[in-house]
Amino acid sequence: MNLHVKDLTVTHRGRTLVDVPELELQPRRPVTIVGESGSGKSLLAHTIMGTLPPELTARGSLLIDGQVLDIADMANRRRLWGRTLALLPQEPVLALDPTMRVGGQVAEGFPGFPARRREARSAAGTLLKALGLGASAQAYPHTLSGGMAQRAAFAAATIGQASVLIADEPSKGLDVGARDELAALLGRHVEVGGILLTITHDLELARQLGGEVLVMRDATVVEHGPAGQVLAEPSHSYTQRLIAAEPSHWTYPWMDRTAPAAEAPRLVSGRGLAKSFGGRTLFSDLSVAVRAGERLAISGPSGCGKTTLGNILLRLTAPDVGQVSHAAELGVGRLQKLYQDPALAFPPRATLGDGFRDLLRRHRLDPARLDELLPALRLQPELLGRLPGQVSGGELQRLAVIRAMLLEPALLFADEPTSRLDLITQEETICALMEQVDRQDCALVLVTHDESLAHAVAGRRLQLGQDTSTSRLAKTPA
Amino acid sequence: MGTEVSAQLDAAPPVKARLAPLAAVLRRRALQAVGVVLLVSTACFAIVQSLPGDIAFRIAAGRYGYDAVTASSAAAVRADLGLDQPAWQQLFGWWADVARLDLGKSLVTNADVGDELGLSLAASLQLAAAALLLACAFGTAAGAFAARHPGGLVDRATDAGVTLARAFPPFLLGLALILVFSVHLGVLPAAGHGDGGSIILPALTLAIGLAALFARVSRDTIAGILASDYVGFARTKGLSARLVYLRHVLRNAGVTLIAYLGVQALILIEGVVVIESLFGWPGLGHALVHAVFWRDLPMIQASALALALLVVAINTAADLAGLAADPRPRNRKAFQ
Repeated sequence: MNLHVKDLTVTHRGRTLVDVPELELQPRRPVTIVGESGSGKSLLAHTIMGTLPPELTARGSLLIDGQVLDIADMANRRRLWGRTLALLPQEPVLALDPTMRVGGQVAEGFPGFPARRREARSAAGTLLKALGLGASAQAYPHTLSGGMAQRAAFAAATIGQASVLIADEPSKGLDVGARDELAALLGRHVEVGGILLTITHDLELARQLGGEVLVMRDATVVEHGPAGQVLAEPSHSYTQRLIAAEPSHWTYPWMDRTAPAAEAPRLVSGRGLAKSFGGRTLFSDLSVAVRAGERLAISGPSGCGKTTLGNILLRLTAPDVGQVSHAAELGVGRLQKLYQDPALAFPPRATLGDGFRDLLRRHRLDPARLDELLPALRLQPELLGRLPGQVSGGELQRLAVIRAMLLEPALLFADEPTSRLDLITQEETICALMEQVDRQDCALVLVTHDESLAHAVAGRRLQLGQDTSTSRLAKTPA
Repeated sequence: MGTEVSAQLDAAPPVKARLAPLAAVLRRRALQAVGVVLLVSTACFAIVQSLPGDIAFRIAAGRYGYDAVTASSAAAVRADLGLDQPAWQQLFGWWADVARLDLGKSLVTNADVGDELGLSLAASLQLAAAALLLACAFGTAAGAFAARHPGGLVDRATDAGVTLARAFPPFLLGLALILVFSVHLGVLPAAGHGDGGSIILPALTLAIGLAALFARVSRDTIAGILASDYVGFARTKGLSARLVYLRHVLRNAGVTLIAYLGVQALILIEGVVVIESLFGWPGLGHALVHAVFWRDLPMIQASALALALLVVAINTAADLAGLAADPRPRNRKAFQ
């Protein structure tokens, strides 16, 4: 069975969002589409699936399972869902019903459910066991880690034995271990003769999946070919830029920087810190100091307690055992935090300009500083007239950098500041951040699950949760 | 480094951990019930004491009729009921009686308050349950229809209906229903208890206002759920629209609606008092109004207490139902 897309376009009020003349998907040959946010790659996947929002207009034809379908009619794919076409959703934690046990959510995708309830139940149990989630069939989604939730969603999406699996940004928010597991799962679908289309901005996932890679930019495919070739020797300038945006390929002046002298004053010192959550010990007997001008990265897999440790060092959270002391220069406003999701760190119904005006007034800052910082972070002043929801995630995070840097902090705590951004936006954001950190000679504590980012940014690194198994999947027989 | 992570994520929580939230709810609500009893009984007592006129004269009128009220009959009442004691002694006496679950005797009829209260409570619960059932069924259905196409014709029509229903105070709505169905059409009795169809009008009056609130809340809740990621995923898993509704939409809407039900308990009880008086329904509200009129202190206190405890009981039931429907712990601290 093949899936053949012809002359696919998606438009919104005359603007073309996707324009792909031809796309061929075959069994045993995974296709991965990479590109930045807004390139149209996710829309392409949803057009094939038939889950496009009604305000967008799609055209073209789809040859699937020997029949030709009109792409414009979203409803004609509905009867294929679960049996022929399956979608592995973004953010599995949100895609699982919070009030239903995992086993039930997997079983309901079984063909013939609910009439064949008992068979569905046992099939779900078998599948979950094969994915290393046998004990979690009776668990509710909120008790699962991000990687476990992704495997549960995989089970729910594939129990209907659909041959075409479309994965939309499946590695978003996953740490390295969970990402590797995911690549193995998707690979298994391909091995048994399935068709796989993956949409991602994670080049490492694309490398692991292999097969064919398509690079999308501004609604069109700019380069395609075997994964090894496209990702190792890109011919298009955009692909080259995309690959150069991986933290391991960065070269910036702010990167080569000698560590601060040992006599630099300690800004924060934590001694004998311990913290546990719900009976789990995150860390114990841990001593950390941050000196003036130092760059420290705290890394480790999801759930290892890195954000908690950062919050303890900032005295936003109290440790179970141990003490944290701050130097006198960390007075009012000289300790700033950058949040993971900037959309949640700005009031949604106040314009950005209003927020900044209040900040300038509250701390009696010179408004000229804001006018200076906006171009320095490559932001247009017009953005200030908008609401936080009306600017992109990358722009909003850079505005958050300005908001923190206006106060000339002695220490900045950045909590996964780019984990929700694509590679190029991540590079822009980190550069903007580090240029300011460098100029103001401010100490930085960066929390990240991306080791290459930690390596690129920080002079000193602290890794948490080293002894956890990174691949629980590998231990269970397939 | 001294860091150790023992992941116990796979294991289901032990029974004791699962019962802990249940015990917490019961403990909190039990404490609340005790507080409510003390507060309401004291407030009732203070309010009756501060009413103008001599209580003994009013009670004597209730016992012997207005014509037979004299200074001596009032004095007899006063001595009989201990009304000449200082106020604080009467209050402490009442508290001690409540602690022994002895609600006393009616000052007017001399009947046991507990017995009378039982009958009123049953009648009130019957009315409240009927109203709640109607409101839930019609309100939620209207909200669900409106949520199918937010901003569509049905949505706007429901919105208008909700506004209209909320704009009518219950007593006016009750009168309007009596005028239409009892006076003009003559199909339903305007008052009474027990005989055919007498519950319909009071329950309907009470239900219309509540249904409007339910429609509003269920519309917003269901529209949000229909747009959620997990409903989208359920659809692409291949579930039929009916199964998605039954298995995911209703379940999640229920979590919000149950919590909302607890909040609405107060409005329900408040409505019961007004509606019962209007339709002559012999429930707690009716009993309270009559007891206030005759200054029947034990009856006032007992019925006010019953109404207050009813609110606590409904809230407890809503909390427990919420715990059963929603497995997520409240106030859970996120960690990374």
